[in-house]
Amino acid sequence: MSKKNILLFGYGNHGKYIAQGLISDGFSVQVIEGNEDFYKHALEDGFKDALHIDVTKDELLHALKPDSYDQLVCVMDDEHLNVFLTLSLRSLYADTYILAISDSIHATKKLQMAGANKVIDMYEVSANKIHNILNRPVATQLLEEFVTHENGIGFREYIIPDGSFLHQRMTDDIDLSNYGILLVGLIDEELGNNFTFITAGINHKLDSGDTIVCIGKKEKLDAFEMIIKEAKEKR
Amino acid sequence: MNKILLSIALYLQRSKHYKSTKFFIYNLFNDPNNPYKKYVDITIIFLIVTSVFILIYEVKHRVPFWLDIYDIYVVSFIFSIEYLLRLWVHNDISAPIVKEYKESQFLQRPFRAKQILKEGLLEKVRYMFTPSALIDLLAIFPAYRPLRVLRIFVLFRVLKLLRYTKSINQFMEVLSNKKFELLTLLFLLFFVVMTAGIAIYVMEEEQNPNIDSLFDALYWALVTISTVGYGDISPVTPQGRSISILVIVLGIAMISFATSVIVSAFSEKLSELKENRIVEQVNKSKSFLLICGYGQMTKMFLRQHGDAYENYIILENTLERMEQARKDGYDTIHEDASRYETLSKFNAKHCEITILCLTSSDVENIYITLNAKSISKNIKVIARANDSSMISKFKHAGADHILMPNRVANSMIHTAITQPTMYKAIHAILTGKSVAQMDEIRAYEYESIVGKSIDALDFKGTKLLFMGIQRGEHFIFNPLHSEIVRPNDILLVMGKQISLDYFKSRYKEVQNV
Repeated sequence: MSKKNILLFGYGNHGKYIAQGLISDGFSVQVIEGNEDFYKHALEDGFKDALHIDVTKDELLHALKPDSYDQLVCVMDDEHLNVFLTLSLRSLYADTYILAISDSIHATKKLQMAGANKVIDMYEVSANKIHNILNRPVATQLLEEFVTHENGIGFREYIIPDGSFLHQRMTDDIDLSNYGILLVGLIDEELGNNFTFITAGINHKLDSGDTIVCIGKKEKLDAFEMIIKEAKEKR
Repeated sequence: MNKILLSIALYLQRSKHYKSTKFFIYNLFNDPNNPYKKYVDITIIFLIVTSVFILIYEVKHRVPFWLDIYDIYVVSFIFSIEYLLRLWVHNDISAPIVKEYKESQFLQRPFRAKQILKEGLLEKVRYMFTPSALIDLLAIFPAYRPLRVLRIFVLFRVLKLLRYTKSINQFMEVLSNKKFELLTLLFLLFFVVMTAGIAIYVMEEEQNPNIDSLFDALYWALVTISTVGYGDISPVTPQGRSISILVIVLGIAMISFATSVIVSAFSEKLSELKENRIVEQVNKSKSFLLICGYGQMTKMFLRQHGDAYENYIILENTLERMEQARKDGYDTIHEDASRYETLSKFNAKHCEITILCLTSSDVENIYITLNAKSISKNIKVIARANDSSMISKFKHAGADHILMPNRVANSMIHTAITQPTMYKAIHAILTGKSVAQMDEIRAYEYESIVGKSIDALDFKGTKLLFMGIQRGEHFIFNPLHSEIVRPNDILLVMGKQISLDYFKSRYKEVQNV
């Protein structure tokens, strides 16, 4: 997985947590904050290059060179400012990838209209979680642990390298349980670059360049990464 | 004598069977939440309706012999058993006798068992003279056909319905709230009827051939004031007609007064009656959700998943939001969920209750959690926390699940940035929109899979991905194929909904066969 540069607007309720999480995952994060107090928090938390600017000014946004980052993340605590910022960034840079958070039902639609590529609605994801807790409490808990790698088990994406032993194999024939991991799904260029679950019932031929997603214990996933690479080197 | 009483009382007090039977019967008659009560109610109502129907039928037809037997013996027999049982469970005599014995031993004073027995029996007699017990007693007597007057006993059976039909009870309750107004009105009516009746009697007794007695005069006054006006008796003198004019005007005034009193009594109680109905309805179901607060979180939850839940009630303590919720079409009651009285209305004993504390205030949510847990430990609580410092407090209060919307959203954003592909998949799994679901199969619900090895379960054939077993606190990821499923295991699988349904139905069927 390539380590990306993230431009993070906001170091409030959401920004603080997200910034720290991204840093611990090895991402490089540039924090921008318009609020004096939050800016100070960012400095205290070790984001020495955090900037305190008025995000409503286009020339200041230009100076940040947003197009040089992989993703722009708008998570300012002020809902109105967040929508305005998203709109400004989209009008200035048509091709950037903007991810935004919404704190209310009404803001979600506005953020989408303002041009965010992906909007995460706090209430929507929470409502889904309540529904899942009510209906499948154990599975919900486990899924969350898999995502956060809490109990040592997690998901990982692998790109099948040239000459890998997985090249030209049918998905139905692949059994990775010998490696202590399970194949969950794949992203195939032939299938339109969408994620397909292995349980969708499509027996598909893998090619090099396809991405497969596996679940397993961290050390087994690491070991499998080596196996895939080795296979490549042998050829 | 004292000794015999004491030994009987002690025997009864020691008998668990006696106590539990008495308790069960008491609940059966008096606890509206008892799941068996409705069967008793329906049976009694059926008996009443049939016996009234037989009475109506026999006015013009000959009643078959078996119906006669049914009406005279079966119904009366069941009613008398019911009457005796009610009398039996009304109060307990043995416990006070034992208590008196202990006290007399302690204080070294004479043991007055007879006195206690007398008090207990007196209490039973007092019960026998309450209106509902009298109606029960009179309803036992069957309609003795040769004597027409005795058919009136059937009417007591109809009155017995009072006890068994909630709506009539509620009607009476509403009216009893306006006791003062109604009594004033009745007194006024009595006064006017008497005055007008006497006046017309004095004025017209000699001139009017239809008025022979004071009873005729009073009858005329009542018929006139009620605006019924049969016309069989009418005034013939100018004085009598003047009285009529007065009575008619007063009659209109009194009827409108009575109507307004009853209407206002109902409009005052209407919302309460409605809310009680909603609570009763939901208490009849096996499991239901109580959603506290109608804010953004609740709105979103119901908008997304409202269809998936049959039984739920929203509790909202601000009038404005409560009205909004009702407008949006949800069953809502205007109550404060942090009050003991509110939550204790719900039948925690026989229903599975899950409370969602979704108000925006952490303090409120913690209070509701504590309140719910103080009523019953069986109530499941899913609480929303806004501040991470509150989590330990929620845990302490006994919340079963704590949800932090901030944290959920943050971790989704984190996943969206760090694992963009997985984000899509996970989001799809969480929203249930995807072709794949992650679901759990509880072994105890599918007995036929218990004791089988993983190998023997057909995951591949049903196109499911078996991921592991949750056993107690531990999750066993991708266990060996020879692993045996234990009764308390939860199997974690992934697959399409149809695969899940097929797998579940397949192993359920095996069990049924």
